[in-house]
Amino acid sequence: MKLYSLSVLHKGSTKANLLKAAYDLSSFSFFQRSSVQEFMTFTSALIVERSSLGSRASVKEQEYLCHVYIRNDNLGGVVIADNEYPSRVCFTLLDKVLDEFSRQVNSIDWPSGSPATIQYTALESYLAKYQNPREADAMSKVQAELDETKIILHNTMESLLERGEKLDDLVQKSEHLGNQSKAFYKTARKQNSCCEVM
Amino acid sequence: MNTRRRHGPRSSEDGVYTGPSQTQYQLVQPLESSPAVAVPLPTPVDTSSMSCRDRTSEFQSVCKSLQGRQNGAHTIRPVNSAVRQRSDFTLVAKQIGRDLSNTFAKLEKLTILAKRKSLFDDKAAEIDELTYIVKQDINNLNKQIAQLQELVRSKNSQNSRHLQTHSNTIVVSLQSKLASMSSDFKSVLEVRTENLKQQKSRQEQFSQSSASTSSFQDSSFNNSVLMQDSSGKADISINMDLHSSQQMQLINKKDSFIQDRANTMQNIETTIVELGSIFQQLAHMVKEQEETVHRIDANVEDTQLNVDLAHSEILKYFQSVSNNRWLLIKIFLILIIFFFIFVVFLS
Repeated sequence: MKLYSLSVLHKGSTKANLLKAAYDLSSFSFFQRSSVQEFMTFTSALIVERSSLGSRASVKEQEYLCHVYIRNDNLGGVVIADNEYPSRVCFTLLDKVLDEFSRQVNSIDWPSGSPATIQYTALESYLAKYQNPREADAMSKVQAELDETKIILHNTMESLLERGEKLDDLVQKSEHLGNQSKAFYKTARKQNSCCEVM
Repeated sequence: MNTRRRHGPRSSEDGVYTGPSQTQYQLVQPLESSPAVAVPLPTPVDTSSMSCRDRTSEFQSVCKSLQGRQNGAHTIRPVNSAVRQRSDFTLVAKQIGRDLSNTFAKLEKLTILAKRKSLFDDKAAEIDELTYIVKQDINNLNKQIAQLQELVRSKNSQNSRHLQTHSNTIVVSLQSKLASMSSDFKSVLEVRTENLKQQKSRQEQFSQSSASTSSFQDSSFNNSVLMQDSSGKADISINMDLHSSQQMQLINKKDSFIQDRANTMQNIETTIVELGSIFQQLAHMVKEQEETVHRIDANVEDTQLNVDLAHSEILKYFQSVSNNRWLLIKIFLILIIFFFIFVVFLS
């Protein structure tokens, strides 16, 4: 489950304007990287142009999925991930990123911005953090921890059952012991009382 | 006299005295003092629509036995006149009870229908119809109970004190049942209006976004903005030539995203609930095992006691053996005897 790119664009009336992008191209060979990056930029811009305001969509292309979310104020984000990455996490990520971006960067800069002029540095960190969807997304984390806890509890239940069996064993042994000691006591008492001869 | 309590009534059928069960036993008591009191025997009961057990025969046998015990060969007074007097009261009350249970059933159906929160599957016509019917029924029942009350009041002078209390109690219980049903009905209506409001807001949400994406989509989708197809997604493939003619498929997933999140939250909630139950079971099992531990404790203590006592017994024995002067004499005696025998027999 990998994320390949995370980009923020502004959807103008005719074309989309790339504001900032982060790429994780470690899985591609060195010579392919530049062309892949270009391709991703182009794809993101194209998708943003084709999508409408206030919509979320996922576009499947070869073995990649492009998730796009365009807000009502023309700000859009595109995440390119592989097929296994859960789409819900992508959209949550896009929501968060776009929120923060809109707070940090002035909306005046949007229509005319470019990666060089826009001051927003968190994209890389987000991309890195969300490489592992389990840890990054709150809901997935909670779900994963709950599952873990359930497994631990199941193990506990089993140990408890074993403990129960052992306790039953102990009860029987202690009963046996008690009976033997009683017999011992009786014999000892008999010793004392009956053999007055000696 | 055995004072078995009759089970609480689920419907107020008056064939059997299910309402005021307490007053029946009070009725039996005064049999001893004033056998002139007419015990109102119920008319033959229509058991097909009852939801509680009919123990009339037991009651009658108890009465007979009591009377026989008290008054020797005293025969039971004919109570037909009382039966005829009260028969129409019981009939009316029975009718009311039956209607009440029917209306209850309809109200339950209405509740189930009104609680459905699905956006597309709304049976509005049915719900409205049912609401109207239930309202009519409630009004009818109201009128009937008012009539019954009039009847009771008109006959009050003729009947004895017990009968009065009895009839009044029955009327009061019917009224209280009707009141509870009306309050249930009101709450159901409130739930329904709440749901309608929610549905409306959701529909508005969807209809706005669908209108904006209409440029992409088929006209059919435009026409059925609130379409009955619960899948709600239009799969549309768009052929775009990029570089070397790649195929892309555009899937409108707005609905599914929200549903996804809702599903995840539900899953989390169910998991948490399950965890809670597992913890509870755990605690229960530990508590059960505590008893076993107590038994082991008791057994081991028992053993210790026994061993201690036995130890003391043996000590006593040892002391007796070691201090017994008699023993020494006895040993010497035996030795000497043996010695004599040996010497005498050998020589």
